[in-house]
Amino acid sequence: MKNEQRVALVTGSGKGVGAGIVKRLCAEGIRCCINCNANRTMAENTLREIEVLGGEAFIYQADVSKPEQLAGMVQAIIDKWGRLDILVNNAAMQPMKFVDEYDVETLQWLWDVNIGGYYHAVKACLPYLRQSSQGRVVNISSIHGKRPTNFDAGYAMTKGAIRMFTRELALELLPDNITVNAIDLGGCRIEFKTGNPRMHFLTPVEVTNPRMPYRYLQVEPKDVADLVWFLCSEDAGNINGDGIRLDRGAVLI
Amino acid sequence: MTEKKTVVITDARSVSAKCAAEYLAAQGWDVQLVPENVCLWDEAALTAFAQGVAETLHAVIHPAPEKILGGIDQLTEDDWRRARDEGPVAAFCVTKVFCNILREKQQGAIIYLNSIHAEKPVGKGMLFSMGCGAVQMLCREINQDYGRQGVNCYFVQQGIGEGEEGCISDASPLYCGVDLRYPARKIPPKDHLNGLLAFLLTDAAAPLSGSDLRADGGMTMYYNHRSKEEGRRYVNEE
Repeated sequence: MKNEQRVALVTGSGKGVGAGIVKRLCAEGIRCCINCNANRTMAENTLREIEVLGGEAFIYQADVSKPEQLAGMVQAIIDKWGRLDILVNNAAMQPMKFVDEYDVETLQWLWDVNIGGYYHAVKACLPYLRQSSQGRVVNISSIHGKRPTNFDAGYAMTKGAIRMFTRELALELLPDNITVNAIDLGGCRIEFKTGNPRMHFLTPVEVTNPRMPYRYLQVEPKDVADLVWFLCSEDAGNINGDGIRLDRGAVLI
Repeated sequence: MTEKKTVVITDARSVSAKCAAEYLAAQGWDVQLVPENVCLWDEAALTAFAQGVAETLHAVIHPAPEKILGGIDQLTEDDWRRARDEGPVAAFCVTKVFCNILREKQQGAIIYLNSIHAEKPVGKGMLFSMGCGAVQMLCREINQDYGRQGVNCYFVQQGIGEGEEGCISDASPLYCGVDLRYPARKIPPKDHLNGLLAFLLTDAAAPLSGSDLRADGGMTMYYNHRSKEEGRRYVNEE
């Protein structure tokens, strides 16, 4: 299928990793919906960059923790382009809280954003992904879905959930010829992170191994975008239900 | 057991948890069940219960919630909220409330009596499996924190035990003839976890803290449900 015909939704794509992904997909000719929640200004910057290079995209502001807003966004895509072939679930929060700092409400909210946003986005997109001859779901996850780090148990729980969400969905959508994969992302250099940045929790790598400074272990949004693009290609049609680690080997240290 | 030691079982409705409660009581443990009217994700109510057993509290066993099965098209918003609250949110609250007591004592254990579905998908068990994956990561995370303060954490991946086979094989065609997925070709008896749980409650298990213990009778590591003899026959017939 020609890329020009395909349409993608990338949640949380106004900035950071998501912005890198929409820029790459648009550069390949795919039409994209840029989803943002609070920061519309950064999404507009991303859209301008895409348009300068001749890509086609539009911004839709929606809170992914609200199923009705996700449904509205998908409907807007269908109204505009009449199809949807690729869903990249990316929007997430990282509160950076210790166990004692979480209350039930915060945990429920985190769950609704980090895993509910993925789950409800799939639910909203599924009727259209099923109509595509090359339906793709890519869940941006984290190495914290496999390896503990002792700085945010709530966050790690949502990433563990995405691991199983990906596997279950891949099995369930086998008959629909839709592949579902996850990218277990390590440290990524972006403009800023959500939550309270406690970067000192990330420095022991440099302390314990000065020859391997943390900055060498960070990936760029472009690296994530390259992998997403591959997973959305025809060549990746046999990769399904996988969680691909993208961290320059940081987890091995 | 001379000294009174309390083990709390947060939900003894499942077959394996019920068996464990009876077995551990017979072994001399003071087994306390969280009453059904205490909501596991109501931190205040759970704290009130925990304070009542704090003095002798030694361990907590937190079983997985009831399975919510169904394809993504059939699952409702109520299913979603129930899975969230009964699964990861309840596990988090249980951990926070009980481990805070245990770390004051610098000893004890929390055992998540969970499921192979933290690793193995069912095809129709998305909400349940997501919760299992989340609790698996909770165990690994808190081992880093409470583990440093003397509280051991274990994640037990149990397979389908006797009396539990129906619900999952009815929901997913992938699990038809589930007993054939066990090398021994039979579903493990309902009390098959008793010995493991009793061991994890001892100090001897401390080096295993933070680990996943798969107790599924070899089910997930077994692919071909045919014996070699049947396989040869099948190939010849083909």
